[in-house]
Amino acid sequence: MGVVHGQEMVLNIGPQHPATHGVLRLQVKTDGEVISDIKPYLGYLHRCFEKHCENVTYEQVIPFTDRCDYLASMTMNFGYVVAMENLMDIKVNDRVQHIRVIMAELQRIASHLLATGVFGLDLGAFTPFLHMLRDRERIIDLFEMTCGARLLYNYMWVGGLSHDLPKGFVEATLNFLDYFEPKIDEFESLLGHNKIFVERTADIGIMPAEVAINFGVTGPNLRASGVNWDLRKDDPYSIYDRFDFNVPVGQGIKGTVGDSWDRFYVRLQEIRESVKIVRQAIDQLPKEGDVHQSMPKKIRPPKGSIYSRTESPRGDLGYYIESDGSDTPARLKMRSPAFTALGVLNEIAGGWLMSDVLAILGSLDIVLGEIDR
Amino acid sequence: MSEDKQALIDDAVDKALAGDMDPINNIEDRVTRSKAKAALVKAKRAKPKTEIKSVASVIHEDSNTKSKDTIEQIVMTSLAKSFSDFLDGEQNSGWIQIKAENWFGIAKWLKENDDLYFDSLQCNTGIDLGEGMLESRYNLHSMKHLHAIEIRIKVSIEKPDIPSVESLWRVADWFERETYDMFGINFTGHRDLRRILLPEDWEGWPLRKDYEEQETYHGIVVPKVKEGWE
Repeated sequence: MGVVHGQEMVLNIGPQHPATHGVLRLQVKTDGEVISDIKPYLGYLHRCFEKHCENVTYEQVIPFTDRCDYLASMTMNFGYVVAMENLMDIKVNDRVQHIRVIMAELQRIASHLLATGVFGLDLGAFTPFLHMLRDRERIIDLFEMTCGARLLYNYMWVGGLSHDLPKGFVEATLNFLDYFEPKIDEFESLLGHNKIFVERTADIGIMPAEVAINFGVTGPNLRASGVNWDLRKDDPYSIYDRFDFNVPVGQGIKGTVGDSWDRFYVRLQEIRESVKIVRQAIDQLPKEGDVHQSMPKKIRPPKGSIYSRTESPRGDLGYYIESDGSDTPARLKMRSPAFTALGVLNEIAGGWLMSDVLAILGSLDIVLGEIDR
Repeated sequence: MSEDKQALIDDAVDKALAGDMDPINNIEDRVTRSKAKAALVKAKRAKPKTEIKSVASVIHEDSNTKSKDTIEQIVMTSLAKSFSDFLDGEQNSGWIQIKAENWFGIAKWLKENDDLYFDSLQCNTGIDLGEGMLESRYNLHSMKHLHAIEIRIKVSIEKPDIPSVESLWRVADWFERETYDMFGINFTGHRDLRRILLPEDWEGWPLRKDYEEQETYHGIVVPKVKEGWE
């Protein structure tokens, strides 16, 4: 069986293109419909996050973290405050911890809803996207009720929170969960078992586990490759060790372990687990506790450095903070999970057809704000 | 999937487990090849699970009962057996400071040693220490043994050369490009070292402390006024 080579053509996808989920340019080498090489060009959304951080105080960094991953701002806040509290050795009370977990898990649901919805949209399935955005809207309403903002919250502060939960939040959240839980099955049958969707994603863009680990891919993308790795279980931060939940991993139900369908399905299963965690956290939520109790008047961490990891909806979110004892960071590096997820694209998508490459890119769930920082 | 394909995969996986990777790499169909690789990983994972645990527990027993060594000390003592004169200056708890020359060999050893097995590079941070020194810091982590370590390499600003580990951990490809982009640390042996976040014709290394923005970029004035900042 011989291979016929045609003329190679270099083609730019993006920077402005709906399938690139932001401003990203992919320079692809095509041979007919087959893509032989993909070179991502980043930086169109570079906002000098790390340089800015060296010029502002530690408190002022938090709004910047919001703007990095604008689809999961709560977990970006969460990662930063966990790092700072470890560095300064601050213990926060249980009420704060529970509220943080509730917010982070609601954010994970919202982020995964958008990720799976947009993934369907990339493949031409418009209806599930609308259903998912409709439910994401209700989560955003809950956030708006809590802190007034719909996307960029600046809600978690070092040592506490900006506001306590408003009156009626717990009831509203429980109402939402009751409404939402049956909807997850609906999404699964609407998108996950749709024949066209399965044909476009199963066995496409297979990422073996060792490739995923070597390329530093984390989060749902890694778990879809069959690796049971979740920081909430394996290196518990905050109070995640108190909750009972499972870590869904890819099983290759529709095709092979680590294909695009698995990446979609793991996210959908994670939504179910997050619902479980939110219910438990609300159940255990202590009535007493001042959310400003442990907040330092002036944030001046001792000299030293810390690398702290948390599980954001996109994977291991790391903050490397170097403190020189002053009130501004000497160096703050964000290890962004989507950055490494995009790095693997050429490895797993080279050799597939043009339309599959966009499906694979959609299945990786990247956010350019966080990649370019 | 047809049965003969499955048989082909099984056969190739068996041979690969015996150490011969060629049958898998020679599979022509891309999908089948990927499936075979996935099956191989699954087989590898399923097999040595008990062995892995015993190795990990040996290390942990060592650290818990006998000498209460930290992971840094364990790594340093085992490194001293294979390398000489690799440490750079005073050591501190929490990280290992090594010389740039030996870095690639040590990295390869850290990644491939069964007892340590740092298979995942979590983060690479550049930092400007002032006084003409730059530093590159690596946070390594083992998915198998669940331990982590930080390696630091100091270089002078005049000759910021560090061996690249991009061929060991492929994630280092983009990490090193970012550190190069922001600090101008030259990773020798990197196959594609160019700027990643900034435009290719940008001047200077932005995260160095003595960085000054260029006056114009393609005829556009770069704004420098920072009123209302502090």
